[in-house]
Amino acid sequence: MITLTDVHKSYTKDHETIKGVSFEVKEGQIFGLLGPNGAGKTTLMQMISTLMKPTSGTIEIDGLTSDKDLLEIHRKIGFLTNEIKLDPLSTPNNLFNFFAALYDIPKDELEERKQESFARFGIEPFANKKIVELSTGMKQKISIAISLIHDPPVIIFDEPTNGLDILTSKQVTDYLLELKEKGHAIILSTHIFSVAEELCDEIAMLVDGKIVAQGTVDELKRIAKADTFEKAFFNIYVEHHVE
Amino acid sequence: MKTIIGSFFRKRGQMGAEASNTTFLVTVLFVAAFSCAVMSWMLWWFPYHLFSDETYNIVVVNAPESFVEFNKASQSYFDNRAEEFGDRKNLIRNWQHITEFEYNFDGYGQTEFFYEETDALYDFVTFGKWMRKNDAYLTVVFPKDFDEQVRARQEGKTGEKPQILTYFRTNSLEYADMREEFEEVYLATYQTEIRADFGLAITSVSDAQILEEPLEIVDTLNGRNSFGAVLGRTFIPILIFVILLYASMSVGTNVVAGQKERGTFTGILLTPTPRYVIVLGNLIGVIIKSVIPVLVIGVLAALIARAFNIFAILSLVAYIIVLAAFIASITILISVINDTVVSAQTAFLPIFLILVAACVTCIQSVSEREDFYMFLPVYGQFYGIGDIFVGQLNYYGLLFSSLSTLGLTAIITFITIRLLHSERYTVSIDSVDAKAAKRAREGGGLSILERINKLTDNFSYTITEIFYPLFVLSFYQFLALIPVVISDMRKPEYSMFIQDLANVGSVGDIINKTFEIFAIFFTDPLFLSMMTLGYAAILLTYFIHAGRVWKIKGFKNKVTACGYPLSDKKHIGKHYGLGLLFGFLMMTCTVSIMFITGQLTFKGGFTFSLAGVGVYLFNLLMWFPQGASEEIMFRGFMIPAFNKRYKVAIGVAVSSILFSAFHSLNAGFTPLASFNLALIALLFALIYLYTGDIWMTSAMHTAWNLSQGNIYGLQVSGNLASNSIVSAVYDTNANPLITGGAFGPEGGLATTAVTTIALVIVIVLLVRKRNNAKTEFAAKAVMQANPDTKPDVNA
Repeated sequence: MITLTDVHKSYTKDHETIKGVSFEVKEGQIFGLLGPNGAGKTTLMQMISTLMKPTSGTIEIDGLTSDKDLLEIHRKIGFLTNEIKLDPLSTPNNLFNFFAALYDIPKDELEERKQESFARFGIEPFANKKIVELSTGMKQKISIAISLIHDPPVIIFDEPTNGLDILTSKQVTDYLLELKEKGHAIILSTHIFSVAEELCDEIAMLVDGKIVAQGTVDELKRIAKADTFEKAFFNIYVEHHVE
Repeated sequence: MKTIIGSFFRKRGQMGAEASNTTFLVTVLFVAAFSCAVMSWMLWWFPYHLFSDETYNIVVVNAPESFVEFNKASQSYFDNRAEEFGDRKNLIRNWQHITEFEYNFDGYGQTEFFYEETDALYDFVTFGKWMRKNDAYLTVVFPKDFDEQVRARQEGKTGEKPQILTYFRTNSLEYADMREEFEEVYLATYQTEIRADFGLAITSVSDAQILEEPLEIVDTLNGRNSFGAVLGRTFIPILIFVILLYASMSVGTNVVAGQKERGTFTGILLTPTPRYVIVLGNLIGVIIKSVIPVLVIGVLAALIARAFNIFAILSLVAYIIVLAAFIASITILISVINDTVVSAQTAFLPIFLILVAACVTCIQSVSEREDFYMFLPVYGQFYGIGDIFVGQLNYYGLLFSSLSTLGLTAIITFITIRLLHSERYTVSIDSVDAKAAKRAREGGGLSILERINKLTDNFSYTITEIFYPLFVLSFYQFLALIPVVISDMRKPEYSMFIQDLANVGSVGDIINKTFEIFAIFFTDPLFLSMMTLGYAAILLTYFIHAGRVWKIKGFKNKVTACGYPLSDKKHIGKHYGLGLLFGFLMMTCTVSIMFITGQLTFKGGFTFSLAGVGVYLFNLLMWFPQGASEEIMFRGFMIPAFNKRYKVAIGVAVSSILFSAFHSLNAGFTPLASFNLALIALLFALIYLYTGDIWMTSAMHTAWNLSQGNIYGLQVSGNLASNSIVSAVYDTNANPLITGGAFGPEGGLATTAVTTIALVIVIVLLVRKRNNAKTEFAAKAVMQANPDTKPDVNA
C-alpha cells in the first residue's frame, strides 16, 4: 500500500536530513516510526503525505506517485499532525461540513459519518461550540475525526496520543486497532513506548535520517539484546548515533 | 471552489490576530479619506438639493444701475408686445411673430429678476440660498462698482475688463443651455445697449470702441458644477481605491497568510482540491468581500451625484470589479509568499503606497491626460470612474483598460498558483535541520527575496513613522478649516482674496497669498478655536495611537510611547514651568539681540488693544495644544519609535529634518530658516533626551511661539499673530539675515546665536549626566522606552 524506495531529502546542499529510507506498509498493518527528536520522522511523514517532495527516491501510495496523481493520493491518505490546526473560530460541525465539501462527500453519507464519528469520540455535545473554547483532548479528537472524514485507506498519524489523558488515549488506540482490522494501512509515529508496543506490527527506528533497525517489537528486543522495549530503543540509539 | 468561496461568508467572530501598525495606519487613512469625501460632498451638495424642478428666474447680485434700467426697458418692451397678443403665453404661442432674441430671452414668458446685494462675490452657499428662495436657476454677480469700472475703462484709466460671474444650477442639463443663451443673447444685447442707449454717457468714439470688446463673463466658479467635477474626478475615485485596497488587504492577508499563521492551511492543501481552485476560490472570495462596500458607496454616490443612466452604473460596476480583481490578485500573491498576517500586511504597504501615489498623479493630471492612460491598469480605472461621475462614458477606455488589467491579473494569479506548488510557501518547516538551514541562509548572506523583504520592512516602518504626523496634521487642519472657510466666504476680504487668486502666477505669489489668508484667519476667533480643537485632536489621536501600538513596539507602557509620563506629578509641574520660562527667556534674548543691534524698535511702547482681548485670549489658548501636539509628533512619539529600530542619532536627525521640512511651506521661508528650525528641533530633541519627557519641550515650544507672536508681535514661522503686548517693528535698515524677514525671527541669525548657546549648554549637561551614573534619569527614561539601544547623544 505504501512503498518507500531509497528516499533522500536535503534542505541544504551539504547535509541530508533523510539518508536513503526504504520500507513498505501493507493493508491491515500498523507501521511504527520511532526515533529521537530531529531524527527526521516529521520530514518523512510530510513527504509521505505529499506536503514535501523527496530530493531523490520514490514514494508510492497504492501505486500512485505525487508527481502524477497528487489529488488521487489526497483522497487515499488521512494525515494527522500537530502542525495542522483547527480554525479556532469555527465549530466542529462547520469544520466537518467544510472538509466534507472539499473531499466531495455526498450529503447523506456525510450526515451518517458525522453522526458516527461524533458519537464515537463524544463530540456531539460540543458540535456547535467554537474550537477555541474546547479542551486539548477534544481538539485532538476532532482533528482525528476530520483527518479520517473521507475514510482513507492510508492513515498517517504523527503523535496521535500526544498530550492526551489515558482514557482518551485508549479511545484513540482502540480506534486505530479497529481501523487496522478493517484493512487500513497505518503509519504511526510516537514517543510513547507502550502505545508502540501495543499497536505496531512492525517498527522502524530512525536515527539521523536512516533506519537503523526494523522489525516487530520482539525482533527489536532480540537485536538489541534487551528485556524491555524501552531498553532496546536506548541500546540501538547509542549504537548508531554519531556525534 | 464553492466551498472555499463560501468559507469567506461563514459567521465568525473577531480575529485574534494582533492589529499591526500598518492596519491601524490604513484604517486611519481610510476613515480620513471617507470623512474628507463626505465633508466635501456636503459642502457642495447641501445648498442646492432643495430646488423645485422647473424654474426660469434669475438672481442678480450687485446689479449696476445700467443693468437695472436695461432690464426694466426689456421687460416693458415684452409687456407691450404681450399686450398685442393678449398675454405672454399667447405671444409665445404665436412664436412666428417674435424674433429669435425675444424667444430665446423670454421664451417661456416667466423670467423674473431678483436683486440682491453682497460684498462676497464667491459665497456660493448664500447664492444657493437666494436661488432656492426665489426659485432661480441662475445667479449673475456683478462687481459692486461695475458701472464705474466700465466708465474707467472707457476713459482709458484701466485696461482691466470688469468681470461678471454666473452661477447656475446643474440639476437639469437644460439650465446650462439656458445660461448660455442668457449670456450670448441677453448679456450681449446688454453690452450693445450700454454702448448705445443706457446708463453710460458715451461721449466719444474711443469710448465706444473699447466697449466693442465683449464683457468677460467668467464662469470658472459656477457653483456646484465645477466643484462636483473636481469631486467626481478626484475624491470619489480615490475613495473607491482606498476602500478597495483596505478591504482587499484586510480580507486577503487574513486568508492564506492568516491560515498559515493559524496552522489551518495545511489541512486544506491535503484535501483533493487542486491548487488553482484554492487560489481562484480565495481570489473570488476577496473580490466579493472587498467589492461589496465599494459598490454600495459607488452606486449611492452615483445616484446622489446626478441623474445616472443604467449604462453609466453598469460601467461603474465593471470598472470596480476589474479593479477589485487586480488588487485582490496582488493581495493573494503577497499572502501566499508570507507566513503571517502582519508580515503580509507589511509587504502590502509599499503596494498600497504605490497605488495611492498613482492616484495622486492621476489627480494632478486630470485635465491634460494622454489618451493612452485610459487603457492602462489602475490609471484606466481611475480616469474611467472619474469620467463616469462627470457624465462622460468611454466604452473603448472601459474595454481596453479592463482587458489589460484582467490580463495582468491573470498573470499574477498564474504566478501565485505556481508558487503554491512549491513547498517553500506551503510547509511551515520546523525540523531541526530545516531550521539550521534557515539560520545558515540568514548568516551566510541573505537570499534576494529575504533582502527585499527586509528592505520593504524597513521602508514601510520608516515611511509609517514619517508620514503619520504629516497625515494627522493635514487631516485635522483640513477638517478645522472647513467651518472657517464656510463662515469667512461671506467676508469681503475673502472675496477679494479669491478674486486675486486668478492672478497668481508664481510660487512666490502662492506663498504670499497663503500669508494673506492666514492674516485674515488669525483675527477670527472661529479659526483660532477650530485650530485649538484640531491640535487637541492631534494629541488625542496620538494618545490613542500610542495605546494601540505600545505593546507591538515593545514599550513599557503607553505613556512612555508618547513621552508624557504621568508618574511624578512634581516633575510635570517643574518641567512645564521651567519650560515656559526657558521658552520666554530664549525669545527675549533673541529680541534683545535684534534690539541692541538696532534691527528693531518698539513702536509706541505698549500696543495691546483692549478691543482685541477676546481674540487675544483665543490666540493664547491655541499655543498650548499647538506646542504639545508638535512635540508629541516630532519628539515624544517619533524619536522612541525610531530608537526601536535604529540608533538614537537617527531618530533625532530624522525628526529634526522633518520638523524643519514641515514648516517650510510657510510664508517667507529661507534656507537659513530651515537650518534654524532644524537646530531648534535638535535642541528640543536633546532636552527630551535629557529630561526623559516632553513636558519641558512642550512648554518651551508654547512659550516661544506665544512670546514671539503675542508678546513681542513678531511673525511665528511666517504667521502673524493678531494682537500683542508690544509691537516690535523692524527697522527700515534692518538686515533680514539677522531678523529673518517675513518668516519672523526663526529665519534670522539672532535665533541661530541664541539656539546655539542653548544647544551647547544642553550638550554639556547631557555629557555630564552621562558621566554621572547616579543621576541617569534621562538615560533610564530612554532605556525604558527602548531597552535595546543605549542613548548615544554624541553621535
